[in-house]
Amino acid sequence: MANLVIENVKKRYGQTEILKGINISIEAGEFLILVGPSGCGKSTLMNSIAGLEDVSEGRILIDNNDVTYSSPKDRDIAMVFQSYALYPNMTVAQNISFGLEMRKVPKDEREAEVQRVADMLQIGHLLKRKPAQLSGGQRQRVAMGRALARRPKMYLFDEPLSNLDAKLRVEMRTEIKKLHQKLGTTIVYVTHDQIEAMTLADRIAVMKDGEVQQLGTPQEIYDNPTNLFVAGFMGSPAMNFVPAKVVEQNGAFALELQASKPTVVPFPDQESLKPYLGKEILLGLRPEMITEPQPHKEGAEFVVTADIDVEVTEPMGADTMVLTRISEAEVNCRCNPVYPTKAGETIAMMLDTSKAVAFDKDTGERIDR
Amino acid sequence: MSNVAKRQTSGLDKVLRVALYVCLLAMAAVYLAPFIVMLLTSLKDVEEIRSGTLLSLPGSIDFSAWSKAWSGACTGSQCEGMAPYFMNSFKIVIPAVAISTLLGAINGYVISHWKFRGSDFFFAALLVGCFIPFQVILLPMARTLGWLGIANTTTGLVLVHVVYGVAFTTLFFRNFYQSIPGELIKAARLDGAGFFTIFYRIILPVSTPIIVVTVIWQFTQIWNDFLFGVAFSGFDTQPVTVALNNLVNTSFGGKEYNVDMAAAIIAALPTLLVYVLAGKYFVRGLTAGAVKG
Repeated sequence: MANLVIENVKKRYGQTEILKGINISIEAGEFLILVGPSGCGKSTLMNSIAGLEDVSEGRILIDNNDVTYSSPKDRDIAMVFQSYALYPNMTVAQNISFGLEMRKVPKDEREAEVQRVADMLQIGHLLKRKPAQLSGGQRQRVAMGRALARRPKMYLFDEPLSNLDAKLRVEMRTEIKKLHQKLGTTIVYVTHDQIEAMTLADRIAVMKDGEVQQLGTPQEIYDNPTNLFVAGFMGSPAMNFVPAKVVEQNGAFALELQASKPTVVPFPDQESLKPYLGKEILLGLRPEMITEPQPHKEGAEFVVTADIDVEVTEPMGADTMVLTRISEAEVNCRCNPVYPTKAGETIAMMLDTSKAVAFDKDTGERIDR
Repeated sequence: MSNVAKRQTSGLDKVLRVALYVCLLAMAAVYLAPFIVMLLTSLKDVEEIRSGTLLSLPGSIDFSAWSKAWSGACTGSQCEGMAPYFMNSFKIVIPAVAISTLLGAINGYVISHWKFRGSDFFFAALLVGCFIPFQVILLPMARTLGWLGIANTTTGLVLVHVVYGVAFTTLFFRNFYQSIPGELIKAARLDGAGFFTIFYRIILPVSTPIIVVTVIWQFTQIWNDFLFGVAFSGFDTQPVTVALNNLVNTSFGGKEYNVDMAAAIIAALPTLLVYVLAGKYFVRGLTAGAVKG
């Protein structure tokens, strides 16, 4: 168990700056996820924490010790790689105990540790096999076993699930979460999959172009994204961005949209809209904020019913996604499957803007709250 | 779907197949002919060689030319046959192959997985070594060996072959190690293994195919080398190729073609043997790394 502090870490390759001053600090036992599109620097940051790459500037502290210039083996961390990186010439048991052997742990202790880890991950029957004789999911388990065996202060996971098929990925995701709850060890986990990020993390750092865009709990990031990038990256289907004109109506600021007909919707944070009166902003609406009319919400504050033109419907079982167009922007709505929706028809939908967010059209920054 | 089961073999198909085999056999015959002539000639006596044709079979199998070539034929003023030089060649080839292969493996490991500033340039410079003609370095190398005090010695020849071989062996190992994922080395570093531990415990155990390729290549190159052998060897350190040349060029009275041929086969035997024993690895190893998987 160890806390992790990353202070103003920069990484340059010649002229190009890969990390542009990263500041992240997490408590011992937290599950931190670094998420972002490819090329955002998340893997470089991970390698810097592991000590596999030197940083150009800044400090990294693990368990309050400055490890910025320590070699990987002295940092007491273990890593699970995307390709699993199992030693092909060794059996599963040898793979798991290699790190212990390097640390000169006596043979009987090593064997006991291999047994403990194998029991925990249910890979006891695989111990004598070579990695080439294992399936993808089994290799994944062995890779985790190798990390677990050393009982390090911190685990690093570098996109560990992206080589697995969809079903196995969901299973292993749960497995990793269970493991974290059981061990309570600090974990840093890199992924580009925002669902993995939401489901696993205590805290998420959303990265783009070598900068942390936002660091927060999954719910904070989902409800209160700081800019258009974070809002668009997290959530599936993504948040809808609807161009809206700020107007004054009955002494309050409101937003004018073009659904089937022009519609005016209220907005919670009045102050923020003031400087934008008469101008266009981007209104961020999650798909679940646009639903079929729900009687219990009827007449509530920030709830408006409007007609929309259905372009496409996508039944997903639990919900039906309705694709429409509001103010020229494509918009996904989440409906109850029993609500009759049909492509080409105009239907009534309920817009709930109580948790909607607003962004400056030019800078992409959040303007409300 | 019974109509899919039987493919029609037309007459034309059969003709083409026969033509293909005829072609292949003809090629094989062309390639094997010199060796067959050598073998047949080495088993005849001098009289038979003079009266018969190249491909006529020997009247009786006679190994006396072989024993003469091995232990009695004259190479210059010495008349001890090929045996001592055969041993000389092994004394040169075994250390030279072992050292150049090991150095190539370490070089390849560094260039592919422990990149340093200028490592790509270093590799490019090494590659140039593959293209320098042997003749160009004869004089400077002679000077160097003299300066080191190992001119005309087996050690000197080993050094020359190692220096010349490292360019090729590095290239072989580097290309092979390029296909080993870098994450494997990262994982080992996090596990606490150092440079040589990783090399010895993780890299070398998966290197068998490329080691076989390199050993065959180096063995053949060094065993068959004549130029370095003739230029840098002393009187009693001559390799088998130089001895063969001397044997063929030394004649008292009539030319003993049967002894020459037997000596030539003896000189070629070790490389032949290496190919027969490890040939399948050679092809497999050369293509390993070329395709993923």
